[in-house]
Amino acid sequence: MASATAAVAPGLLAKPAARVLSEALGDRLLSAADFRGDLAITVDRRSWVEAARLLRDHPQLGYELFLDLCGVDYLDKDDRAERYEVALHLYSVSHRHHVRLKTPVPESDPKLATLTGVFKGAGWFEREAWDLYGIVFEGHPNLVRILTHDSFVGHPMRKDYPTAKRHVLKSPKERLLEVPPGSENLLINIGPSHPSMHGAFRVQALLDGETITAAEAEIGYMHRNFEKMAEERTYWQIIPYTDRLNYCSSFMNGHGWALAVEKLLGVPAPPRAEAIRVILSELSRVMDHLVCIGANVVDLGAITPFFVMFRAREDIYDVLDACCGARLTVSYVRIGGLAQDVPESFAALVGRAVASVREVLRQADELLTRNIVFQKRFKGIGVMPKEEALSWGWVGPCLRGSGVGYDIRKDHPYSGYEQYDFDVPVGTLGDCFDRYLVRMEEMRQSLRIVEQALGKMPQGPIITDDRKVALPPKSEVYGGIESLMNHFKLVYDGILPPPGEVYGYTEAANGELGYYVVSDGRKHPWRVKVRPPCYNIYQAYPEMIRGGMLADAIAIIGGLNVIAGELDR
Amino acid sequence: MGLIDLFKGKFVDPTYPGVHGGGDIVTTTLDAMIKWGRKSSIWPMPFGTACCAIEFMAVSFSHYDIARFGAEVLRFSPRQSDLLFVAGTIVDKQGPVLKTIYDQMPDPKWVISMGVCASSGGFYRSYHTMQGIDEVVPVDVYVPGCPPSPEGLLSALMKIQERIQKGEQAREPQGAHRLGAPGAGAIDRRARREAWARDDAARRAEGKPPRGLLQLRVLPPAANEEHHG
Repeated sequence: MASATAAVAPGLLAKPAARVLSEALGDRLLSAADFRGDLAITVDRRSWVEAARLLRDHPQLGYELFLDLCGVDYLDKDDRAERYEVALHLYSVSHRHHVRLKTPVPESDPKLATLTGVFKGAGWFEREAWDLYGIVFEGHPNLVRILTHDSFVGHPMRKDYPTAKRHVLKSPKERLLEVPPGSENLLINIGPSHPSMHGAFRVQALLDGETITAAEAEIGYMHRNFEKMAEERTYWQIIPYTDRLNYCSSFMNGHGWALAVEKLLGVPAPPRAEAIRVILSELSRVMDHLVCIGANVVDLGAITPFFVMFRAREDIYDVLDACCGARLTVSYVRIGGLAQDVPESFAALVGRAVASVREVLRQADELLTRNIVFQKRFKGIGVMPKEEALSWGWVGPCLRGSGVGYDIRKDHPYSGYEQYDFDVPVGTLGDCFDRYLVRMEEMRQSLRIVEQALGKMPQGPIITDDRKVALPPKSEVYGGIESLMNHFKLVYDGILPPPGEVYGYTEAANGELGYYVVSDGRKHPWRVKVRPPCYNIYQAYPEMIRGGMLADAIAIIGGLNVIAGELDR
Repeated sequence: MGLIDLFKGKFVDPTYPGVHGGGDIVTTTLDAMIKWGRKSSIWPMPFGTACCAIEFMAVSFSHYDIARFGAEVLRFSPRQSDLLFVAGTIVDKQGPVLKTIYDQMPDPKWVISMGVCASSGGFYRSYHTMQGIDEVVPVDVYVPGCPPSPEGLLSALMKIQERIQKGEQAREPQGAHRLGAPGAGAIDRRARREAWARDDAARRAEGKPPRGLLQLRVLPPAANEEHHG
């Protein structure tokens, strides 16, 4: 016990997670740290499962929402005893706090006990950590490659794997499931090139008549290696990559990235930049929900609503286009603010977009919400109970559809969301219709936020004046030697954050979008892990469709809004 | 519009008085007639995987309206289409799928590579991203942009129409030599460090200093120095 209190600083024992784990584990708790408000606890790997179970079940902790699990490779870091580390992120909806649990894993014996018995959502994350880092999770039911293809050799996220070393896929996996011998069940393959699988997901289902008796999903058809690329880019250069994560609402990803790096640096953005970020983020949320609902009903055979909804998207594109010159992949955000101020026509364009979305929502209500055919296809289909949703790690509109009112904009306000008056819609049953209604209502609430933010948008600078983070204005660069030097240093050296690690999280269109950023003080991040909201959501999909009809499987997947760029990164 | 196209070029001059004066009869070759029909009623198959697919939706919907070019009948079956729109990043895992889709399309067929990811891998020079779809399928038109503007995509569609009228079609995957070629990407840190250590040890054994060590030495006077004196 004495060594445990030595590992945990006395101030940290005020935090329930540190106190409880230190009392229970003794000297198997290796260290605890609090950097920028993130509580991180490192335990010995022998007590990995015990610690996770304690975090979930202890009445004072209640970390029931599984967020993320990832590996990190500390090759040649002298201050680390072991080469690998596994980091787990959890959240407690009832107590509203995050925690990061870590454990070192040696290179000579990279093994760790599986958490699949504690959290359902751990399954795919552990497969990913094995695929990318070669960490073996003992007791995992299906530890095979998930993101890379089957002819791949090596574990690409290791620091000693060359970034561009490719392998040719020789024999694609034909079967994800086996038909039991003697059975007359039909094995049907859906995707990846299938209109309702959006080009990048693949599901195989075993059918008895039209009822699905077993299903298995395969992902990785869009794994284009954001995280490996991020390790070789400066903090600025990563912004365009984030746009391409969830490309239906590009701006929100950049917003989340900027906030994560600002948290690491301890440099806030000015109020005007935050207000503009909020307006564009909420418009992006509307764009995302419009495509989600539109594509969902196209899969069910109704093309008209999608045409109607896309019309409003064009008006939002006009706003983004006027701000930064791009329609879809905007790259408008900068660390510490925005690239430039909004044009004079901004208020008028936003007003037009808001009016257009209102009209579209009215039409969509008439076409869909009160449409009996649509209701019959959606009500009571794909029910996800609250406890299951938390264990899978669901977030965002899907979790709120299941009746959990967790919204980061309310629970942990960022960018000034506490100033705006809005409601968080919550479903009751957790079926497709609830998820649809939550999305429709969220769009109305987003419009309310946009109007409030536009009404009281502060004047002032749009980027921080910290010259170690943001470039000085061009007029100063050409006019003064100090600004010229600042410009040169920042372009040449990049942003140099302090060593440390943060988990930045925002409420993106699909839910909690987290960035786990590890910095070693140099201009490239040592590790960036995206916590993609739809990864957990899609992981539950095979289990959701089991026992249902094949046609319902198509109705369910559209409502989950799985975006390939975010899913596979 | 289409008929005037048909008159252009080598067949009939639309301003020739005999054509219009003749009323309802147009003479041309059957080949030109078929090509004209083909280019005015393209049935595209969208193979959308990523961001570009969202811009492709914008092109096919009412604001940009691909129907103006006679190409609005989107088919999600390769058996029923003659133009493949590859919109989005293709990774190595997707490569065999794309090849199968292309092979299933009936001839004649054309391919548009939409965006830099499909054309060259874009800024994803990495271990799982195909460095251009022309490693596995022939490409007729490459459209730059990330994603391309809708106007850019419509321009590519018109280029395809020109190619159809001229009877041109890409036959071989232009970048097949790249498939399986070792990537010359970023540095393998450990291998590089080990190679340096081996090199240093070998040079030390020969009594030489390590490579890259800058040694200052005094130059001997040049033979023709007295001429400058």
